[in-house]
Amino acid sequence: MGLLSIIRKIKRKEKEMRILMVGLDNSGKTTIVLKINGEDTSVISPTLGFNIKTIVYQKYTLNIWDVGGQKTIRSYWRNYFEQTDGLVWVVDSSDLRRLDDCKSELDNLLKEERLSGASLLILANKQDIKGALSPEEIAKVLNLEAMDKTRHWNIVGCSAFTGEGLLEGFDWLVQDIASRIYVLD
Amino acid sequence: MADDDGASSIPNSIPPHPSDSSLQKKHASVIERLANRNQTRLENSITRRSESGSSSSSTTSFLVRFSDSKRAIESDLAQCRLTPPEPSQVRSHLDGISASISDLEKLVAETSYFLPSYEVRASLKSISELKQSLEDLNSELLPKKKFSFKNKGTKKDTKSESKDLGLGNAGSMLTNKQQQASYIARDSPGIRDKDGEVLVKNFKGSDVGEFSLSGLSSCEVKLIGSIRALFIHKLRNCKVYTGPVMGSILIDDVEGCTFAMASHQIRIHNAKNSDFYLRVRSRPIIEDSSSVRFAPYCVSYEGIEEDLKDASLGEETGNWENVDDFRWLRAVQSPNWSILAEDERIDTVKISSTAG
Ligand SMILES: Nc1nc2c(ncn2[C@@H]2O[C@H](COP(=O)(O)OP(=O)(O)OP(=O)(O)O)[C@@H](O)[C@H]2O)c(=O)[nH]1
Ligand SMILES: [Mg+2]
Repeated sequence: MGLLSIIRKIKRKEKEMRILMVGLDNSGKTTIVLKINGEDTSVISPTLGFNIKTIVYQKYTLNIWDVGGQKTIRSYWRNYFEQTDGLVWVVDSSDLRRLDDCKSELDNLLKEERLSGASLLILANKQDIKGALSPEEIAKVLNLEAMDKTRHWNIVGCSAFTGEGLLEGFDWLVQDIASRIYVLD
Repeated sequence: MADDDGASSIPNSIPPHPSDSSLQKKHASVIERLANRNQTRLENSITRRSESGSSSSSTTSFLVRFSDSKRAIESDLAQCRLTPPEPSQVRSHLDGISASISDLEKLVAETSYFLPSYEVRASLKSISELKQSLEDLNSELLPKKKFSFKNKGTKKDTKSESKDLGLGNAGSMLTNKQQQASYIARDSPGIRDKDGEVLVKNFKGSDVGEFSLSGLSSCEVKLIGSIRALFIHKLRNCKVYTGPVMGSILIDDVEGCTFAMASHQIRIHNAKNSDFYLRVRSRPIIEDSSSVRFAPYCVSYEGIEEDLKDASLGEETGNWENVDDFRWLRAVQSPNWSILAEDERIDTVKISSTAG
């Protein structure tokens, strides 16, 4: 038996999922991960590099990779594509000026061969801020309807501040991945 | 870069012409080693999980572990390149090395909370280089499946305009523009495109979300009361004094400015010749900036103490001087920022809401 198949077997047995969180800097990735994990979110520095959180979610173990979104760090994103089951793209819905940036970075990601099989969850974050665009408006700006038909995707409005929408988003993501990977059980 | 690295790190112990059988043996042992490594990794991650966060490791022990595994991976890579495994086993070899690189990456991630920032960046860079070498090796040993290079504008691009640009790769950046037109014409509340004015805004009693300052030249801006988020873009020779921002401040493209502000997070991009008087809960960061100087917060208006307290910014954290320069990898102080000498600092700025 090849090593790769050994690894796959183990992964399957533990019901592990690898989830990659990316998005522009300041979009709220780290806050979201800590919030889901029930941790204190009051002091968070911009991410220099990346963090991994292992979270048990329903009957699955999620390995969540939270990678910094500062320009300098974006060139490292490609290092994390391998074996990604779920991709979470976080948007600061109140940052109107950088929506173009946000769109072009997302478009680049979606061209990646290595991410082509990953389920895509778009979190329209910071919905608690007055003046934030709604998930529908974000979907329009990002032109999500034009996405490759084979891609499983969903967009959910949320606030890492209040916690609203986070579970809805992750429930969808985990179910979607599970239905693709663990069909056999 | 990867080629040079590979050549220089080939261990001396490899015989120049190994016989077929010794080659086989070597490959078997590599596979075994990799499988063991995978086992250890699983065990480690299980114990780690049960310890949950009581990390006592020091930077030094991290560096030792890091460079050990890095060297092991480099020698695996070199060995693989020098004496390529049987075609049928190439995949599993490379997967094994890839797994080791992932381990190394996890090690960095798990320690990135306590590592000094330059160590994190340097480690990331090494990992990135290892991955590059592995990719190179991968394409040497396993010639790519025949998939045609993705042509922009053929399949995915449903809009026709972008096809006519004839710019090749550069064209892909332009396709965004046309989408922009369809986008919602809405601007966040803010102050835009002013020259030489004094602008005072009082947020007290109103529930303001985000606020923007953009395209200002030679203006003095005073913001009283608290807001959730502040965006600052394209300011020249301005002075900006604010009350607390409960979320984050994002600054991009400023020159010759003075800022005095309090916030949970502050990100500074493309700033030149500017001074920042900050109170901030996390570490301020700069990127693509130069000649920026930092000092503690110095704003006052009637009721500011209460506003600061309500925003959890009541106390000085000392973070105004813990600046991280994302463009600066090394242990020595970044040349792009400095602490503003005490005798050069401005006095406390008193704002009154009736002015302006
Ligand atoms: N009001 C509000 N603020 C939020 C929300 N989510 C995050 N923030 C704030 O946005 C800022 C950025 O959050 P982070 O979690 O550091 O963002 P990030 O995406 O991890 O940023 P990088 O690490 O630089 O890539 C912080 O000040 C958060 O408090 C939200 O839902 N609502
Ligand atoms: Mg972060």
